[in-house]
Amino acid sequence: MASQVMTNLDPKSRAAAKGLSDLTIRNLFIIPTIAFLIIFNIFPLLYSLAYSFTDFRASTRAPANFVGLQNYRDLLSDPFIWSNFSITAKYVLISVTGQVLVGFGLAMLLNRAIPAKGLITTLLLLPMMLSMAVVGLFWKLLYDPNFGIINYFLGLEKFEWLADPDMALYAIAIVDIWMWAPFVMLLSLAGLSAVPKHLYEAAEIDRASGLYTFFRITLPLVAPILMIAIIFRTMEAFKTFDLAYVLSSQPTTELIAIRLYKMAFQEWQTGMSSAFAYIVLIMVVAITNIYVKYLNKVKAR
Amino acid sequence: MAQIDIQNVQKFFGQHQVLKDLNLTIEDGEFVVMLGQSGGGKTTALRAIAGLETVTSGKILINGEEVQNRKAADRDIAFVFQSFSLYPHMTVRENIAFPLRAVRMNAADRDRAVKAVAETLQIAQHLDRKPSALSGGDMQRVAIGRALVRRPQALLMDEPLGVLDAKLREQMRAEIKRLHIARGSTSVYVTHDQIEAMSLADRIVILHDGVLQQVGAPDQVYLQPTNLFVAKFVGSPVMNVSDVRIDGNNVRLNGAEAGFRFPDETLSTVRHAEAGLTLGVRPEAVLLAHHQGEGYVPVVTTNIEPLGSHDIVDVQLGGTVLRSRTASGFVSGEGQQVWVRLDPAQAHFFDKATGLNMRGAN
Repeated sequence: MASQVMTNLDPKSRAAAKGLSDLTIRNLFIIPTIAFLIIFNIFPLLYSLAYSFTDFRASTRAPANFVGLQNYRDLLSDPFIWSNFSITAKYVLISVTGQVLVGFGLAMLLNRAIPAKGLITTLLLLPMMLSMAVVGLFWKLLYDPNFGIINYFLGLEKFEWLADPDMALYAIAIVDIWMWAPFVMLLSLAGLSAVPKHLYEAAEIDRASGLYTFFRITLPLVAPILMIAIIFRTMEAFKTFDLAYVLSSQPTTELIAIRLYKMAFQEWQTGMSSAFAYIVLIMVVAITNIYVKYLNKVKAR
Repeated sequence: MAQIDIQNVQKFFGQHQVLKDLNLTIEDGEFVVMLGQSGGGKTTALRAIAGLETVTSGKILINGEEVQNRKAADRDIAFVFQSFSLYPHMTVRENIAFPLRAVRMNAADRDRAVKAVAETLQIAQHLDRKPSALSGGDMQRVAIGRALVRRPQALLMDEPLGVLDAKLREQMRAEIKRLHIARGSTSVYVTHDQIEAMSLADRIVILHDGVLQQVGAPDQVYLQPTNLFVAKFVGSPVMNVSDVRIDGNNVRLNGAEAGFRFPDETLSTVRHAEAGLTLGVRPEAVLLAHHQGEGYVPVVTTNIEPLGSHDIVDVQLGGTVLRSRTASGFVSGEGQQVWVRLDPAQAHFFDKATGLNMRGAN
């Protein structure tokens, strides 16, 4: 079967001379990848699932005791964990909304004949290419209440962006928006340029106003690709760790990923944190599924 | 309904001039077809009337009002695109209702208007389907429906049947004509298909290289072409064209020994041409006979196209192939000896230098 699907090996090739068959070559390519996936992804996934039902602590030699669903029960009834979740939800909402508004707005501005369009697009895409930790570090400098350039330009004197418990989460979201709005812009731009020009002409002939055209033509036609951008960004924002960790250590900015990190590697509650990780995983899968359902609905239109 | 007036319109795309001093008046309720080769400027002219293209200079008037600086939305004209341009994410109903919703017509009036148009165009059964689920003909019906639903000043159509197959094209052609007669809307129709133009138009406008060549009723354009371009562009099969020399009353085709005798009144207006003459005769003016007769020249048939209702017979005369339209089966095969004569009443002489028809507009 498999050999019928594949192209047959050229009998004059060097591989054939060495006595390798088509099947051997296929296996040479595939087996290392599969082995890698099993060792580094599947195995830890299952291993941590097993740990999540125990009271195992990686910092001690004490043997792991099976505790059943106790970890899950404790986590889901812990008000502090729920506060982590609501902080994360707020962060995801602000950050993704901001990225979509800024990114789509930029795409709309760029989706026309303007001079140096390529250069502008490239420059706008740069933040996306940087490392999260680096971005966090230099925005920390920008936000600095004493010498930060942001307060200088906004005339805010010594406003403490990151130390202010109410502001810190927004400050982190702003950095995330700065970094990832270009990603939404890039996908939106692809979507916008795929809308046929003659549809806009038809809308103009049909006497539709600019706003009406935007909401009835542009947005519905870009929606599927915009949806994909939103799925990606939501998943990423949900998992945010490094940016928030580098920028602020306020309790009001303790996202689930940070809580998880602390639980696993500072408090060494290995079993408990495995359970926590599984709860997060299930949530991400659930949210993604909702989006994908919606995406399919949008695509069907 | 409206009268459209185009005055001294010029249009440049960069250095390239696509409309050269275009003047044209389209009367209220008239069906005008712009005919020409692609790149001839006909689509640009249509888009300029619609407001989808600006003009470099000149005026466009709709009902006496200058509109050349107005946006398409403010000209109250409808446009049917070659590619249909249906909104892919909307149902047929939403597509047709779009121009009404865009100007906030109330729902009841809107539904009534959409239904009426859908019934006229026989697409009522498709109202809740997406355009992608329709056949090409139905898609174009929807596009026409969307154009007609708001009773525009004028209906502009840019090769609306261009992407349909031949049979459907014929059927849609008849429907467009029927709609035009029923609604009497001022219509401008662009096509490169001369049969479409002949069958639809009250008047045909022939554009070539951005220059208006001739405006006239279909039979006028066919029978009295103003120049060689129009003569060759209109009519199928193409008009026979050959350079000629005139000796007395004898008109000799390029490279031919024998000539055709033409009466004095035909030749009197053309004798003074200095640059030489080009003779044009349509296939129906090339008369064949089986026997030698007065004014006939002997030739041999080289090719026969039997078309059912008639045949097209090619005969070789000197360096020229003359195509003749005969009764079907008139000539039985290639290589046959026949005699040929040209009908002087249907012969056109064109100035070789300017291409103008020497006999004027008769």
